[in-house]
Amino acid sequence: MLDISALLEEIKQRPYTDLSICTPHTGYLEFGAFNEGDKVKDASGEFKEIPGSKLAIITRENNPRFIYATQKGIIQKLHKQYDKNFVEAGVEIGILRHFLSKTEVIHILLQKALFLFSAPERAKYYFAPEIDKKIKISGSRSITVTDGMELFIVSRMKREVPLTYHGPEGIIYEVYFKHNQNIDANMPLIGICPPDQLQNIEDVISRVNHEWKEQ
Amino acid sequence: MGKEHKVLVTNRGEIAVRIIQACCKLGIKFVAVYTAEDIHSGHVTLAKELGDDKSLYCISSYHDANELLSVADAANATAIHPGYGFFAEDFRFARRVAERNRPLIFLGPSWRVIRELGDKINTKRIARSLNVPTVPGSDKPIYDESEAEKIARTLFEFQIQQGVEKPLVLVKASAGGGGMGIEEIHDIDLFRSVYRRIRNYAMRQFKDDGVLIEQRIKNFNHLEVQILSDRSGKNPVHFGTRNCSIQSTGLQKRIEIAPGFDPSTINYSFNAEKVMNDIIEHSLTLAREVNYDSVGTWEWIVTKEGNPFLMEVNTRIQVENGVSAAISRIHGKKGVDLIAEQIRTGLGEPLGYTQKDITFEGIGIEYRIIAEDTENNFTPWVGDIDNFSYEKTPWLSMHTHLPKMSKDNPYTIPTEFDPNLALGIVWGSNIEEVKSRGKEFLNSLKITGSNGQGENLKSNIPFLYNNTDRILKF
Repeated sequence: MLDISALLEEIKQRPYTDLSICTPHTGYLEFGAFNEGDKVKDASGEFKEIPGSKLAIITRENNPRFIYATQKGIIQKLHKQYDKNFVEAGVEIGILRHFLSKTEVIHILLQKALFLFSAPERAKYYFAPEIDKKIKISGSRSITVTDGMELFIVSRMKREVPLTYHGPEGIIYEVYFKHNQNIDANMPLIGICPPDQLQNIEDVISRVNHEWKEQ
Repeated sequence: MGKEHKVLVTNRGEIAVRIIQACCKLGIKFVAVYTAEDIHSGHVTLAKELGDDKSLYCISSYHDANELLSVADAANATAIHPGYGFFAEDFRFARRVAERNRPLIFLGPSWRVIRELGDKINTKRIARSLNVPTVPGSDKPIYDESEAEKIARTLFEFQIQQGVEKPLVLVKASAGGGGMGIEEIHDIDLFRSVYRRIRNYAMRQFKDDGVLIEQRIKNFNHLEVQILSDRSGKNPVHFGTRNCSIQSTGLQKRIEIAPGFDPSTINYSFNAEKVMNDIIEHSLTLAREVNYDSVGTWEWIVTKEGNPFLMEVNTRIQVENGVSAAISRIHGKKGVDLIAEQIRTGLGEPLGYTQKDITFEGIGIEYRIIAEDTENNFTPWVGDIDNFSYEKTPWLSMHTHLPKMSKDNPYTIPTEFDPNLALGIVWGSNIEEVKSRGKEFLNSLKITGSNGQGENLKSNIPFLYNNTDRILKF
């Protein structure tokens, strides 16, 4: 049984995460109006259609692209030496301190509470076509998985093989992978909630909603 | 020529290594790129060793044209070598490279040639207009299930009329290549399920669900003709034929031999010399028709009866170019380097020799050394390699992007790309000598490693060894 109180206390000791802001690709970089210590906003709107604060702009082949804050927080560091220079892909241009939201705390706790079915190897993962169709229509929590069920397609080096689920029966409570994204070995693909655990999981969520104060 | 040019190598791994080496041989500057997954690749190490401070850039993807062109400008490159795969046969990319505000030289055929021949279907149409034989089947991608089934039924009926006992039809992803996204069917009732599977696969992998339907010709040899022409497009020459019939179950090449047949020691049920000459002539006819102006490979299948059919033209340098170079002599001299020839002529130098200056000597075998489980459907093996070693001899050339490694400093095979580790090219004066040397090389080759599950590295060395004796036999 999870000790929710202890886990919450542990998270409260360091209620933030320092995110590295990196260039998505090569190009000429220009920083925006923000400085170290400034607060920035993340994407907002019903569909997250309003982007976050503009941190920088990177231009390649006359195609400018804004580098937005993907999370709200405080800018800890900006590497201004890259300003108005050509930079390579993946270069860290700053650090953003982001304070955890309720959803993120729930996410952390669920990863400890649910049964996690993990990627056996680094590859791209897809749900099997029939399952994928159902998830698109009714959401992942409409799917009950059972041991031995052919649940995924594993795609690696353009070769595809089916992957069978092994674990307790339950609903797919969380999905941790995206299409066309490589998942490292042992990273969780889905979180399964057995029927008899559903109430406990709901309790965890409700407790976080009551106890966690967002900054 | 060399001083004013700088070549951007927009590829990775073994081919990037060879392009860098060819540039250095020609005295031309280069700039290489790599993605985060390739940080430990040998092409990165080599670029650091041989280049200057503007010779290596980290990019997000080898597929991002904007990024590659942005690097070209930042590094003052004047030409782009695409290698094979990625943008090598993308005429839109080649056109963009040549026609942008700051034009660059695309080191491949001109974009018009790629547009003409890069598309299998258009190639088929041009070939048919020149009476060059092609495989029966659809000459455009099919997107409609009923139309696809109708073509498949016609091909089944055609084969029955031809007296084929077990007719077969191939269903291929139109945008695919390298043996991926192909299945054969022996029963028309299975067609729809196979069609849907390939269509879905093609959509996932290539973002295009067009499918080709072709007659599956069984019991054939896969031959290739290596062509080279300078920018005039007027005087294409050939560097002989190759036989690429030893493949994985997924129809991917594993051993390539040059020349394509050896009628001096092996009996064929047809006139093998004539077949080789015919496919060379057909290939040159097509090359002249489109003013082909770079290196390229004409891929053929030859049936047991000695009937050749053109499959496609690869408008790029191919993996196996080195085995043709190994048996070729220009003005009687060894050391032919087709990649260097492609760069030299691509930058505007005339070819400088004609077909009569090219001669052939001996037989070459190229082994594709791959981490894979040949007994389990050639499934790629992924993990850490801690040793790759072999005995160096004058008759062996090795091309690899594997860096120096050890138990404490292994090389992790990236899963994002094809699992090729190296190419070993062996030369012999005759078939017996080359087979014997091939086996000697494979015996000396040691590759070890393990993966996260503690499983030892699996390689295709035993498969290559066991198939050496049957090379060029039909």
